[in-house]
Amino acid sequence: MTPARPHPHTLTGAYALHALTGPEAARFERHLARCPTCAQEIADFAETTARLADATAATPPADLKQQVLAAAARTRQLPPAIHQPTISRTRRAARPASATTLLPRRWLVLAAAVLALAAVIGLATRTTGHPPAPGQAPSRQIAAVLTAPDATMLDARITTGGTATIVMSRHAHALVFAATGLAPLPPTRCYQLWLLGPHSDTPAGMLPGPQHGPAGPITTTGLRPGTRLGLSIEPAGGSPQPTTAMILNVVL
Amino acid sequence: MRTHHGHLEPQPGPAASPAAGPDLAALLSEVAAGEAAAFEAVYDHIAAPVFGIARAVLRDPCQAEEVTQDVLAEIWRTAACYNPARGSPMAWVAVIAHRRAIDRVRAEQASAARQQRAAVPPPPGYDEVAETVAASLEAERVRRCLGALTESQRRAVILTYYHGYTYRQAAALLGVPDGTLRTRIRDGLIRLRDCLGGQQ
Repeated sequence: MTPARPHPHTLTGAYALHALTGPEAARFERHLARCPTCAQEIADFAETTARLADATAATPPADLKQQVLAAAARTRQLPPAIHQPTISRTRRAARPASATTLLPRRWLVLAAAVLALAAVIGLATRTTGHPPAPGQAPSRQIAAVLTAPDATMLDARITTGGTATIVMSRHAHALVFAATGLAPLPPTRCYQLWLLGPHSDTPAGMLPGPQHGPAGPITTTGLRPGTRLGLSIEPAGGSPQPTTAMILNVVL
Repeated sequence: MRTHHGHLEPQPGPAASPAAGPDLAALLSEVAAGEAAAFEAVYDHIAAPVFGIARAVLRDPCQAEEVTQDVLAEIWRTAACYNPARGSPMAWVAVIAHRRAIDRVRAEQASAARQQRAAVPPPPGYDEVAETVAASLEAERVRRCLGALTESQRRAVILTYYHGYTYRQAAALLGVPDGTLRTRIRDGLIRLRDCLGGQQ
């Protein structure tokens, strides 16, 4: 499955926020080279994001200055260059070697399937722990985890096929789970999430959504230290305890 | 709530804004000619916003310090590449700084995925970006303009710019189609641009 390729014009904002993946950004830059309108919009957005950056200004540790000045003193500078497109230059220059080893982002492969907010709200009753308040709460709950100061993200392969993306906040004792590329199941089976503790396993929700497309997001609360997140295939309707082997088992 | 909030520049009075301060473009052309004193002045002008955005994205002050160092080294090395016709010096610097911070986040996500574990301890005393954006007048302007976005636009911009999610990640995790998130980001930026542009 390949990601749907959006029209380049719609990508200016995401590009300006560095919110494209590497291959997407490279494709967009090829478009940018022959689209003056896009280039102008990107340049405008760069002024805007500079203000966003400015708003976070914080004095760095005092000894940093001497380190920076000393490093400059022993660094050769580039000669004045023929002007290239600013953004592609900075992108190339800024990319560390490690970025080229990024894993394929299959979990980002999202088909056109739409997970309407209504579906997310419908999930509210399936999350563990405290049920969120009605209305916007589930989406707020998701946003709260995604923006938590200690939010960490990981992806993990599901042994029967597909990839899970998990964003977790230890501080909030909560996580958001989404999956793509899950193997289709017969109607009598379903995917079920678990919080696996040292002493007991707790059901953490049934995966909604088309089984071969994106599934989730689903929020789970009540994380405790030492908890692992598991996924298993259960009889439709779910089980109080896992009845089959875990097809995903992640240390949180 | 963070209290050690740094102002961008030593301008007197509350009217300090990015437009005040030294002529950064002129300083950069001196830096391009190898002027160490000009580079020091550039450092004084940009270190706080560079460190600030790196810390907002990375959340870890130590990593933010490393990124700040890398960004300043790049500014020194490539000052000759700055082209005033293409935008303000601060925009050039902020793009480099944000890009470096994002690259670090993405590389970490990849290595966390390999280890099946992401273990970054929460930095003490660091709160939501929206709350840290409060001390200076400039920050207040930005906060007000962010407040003028719809909630879904604001969320899209904050998740991607300040928290370093790709738009596809943010879309999957919020449960909306990619295209919806793309539109929210772009519409949000256009609104921010118009709002901030009127408040230099």
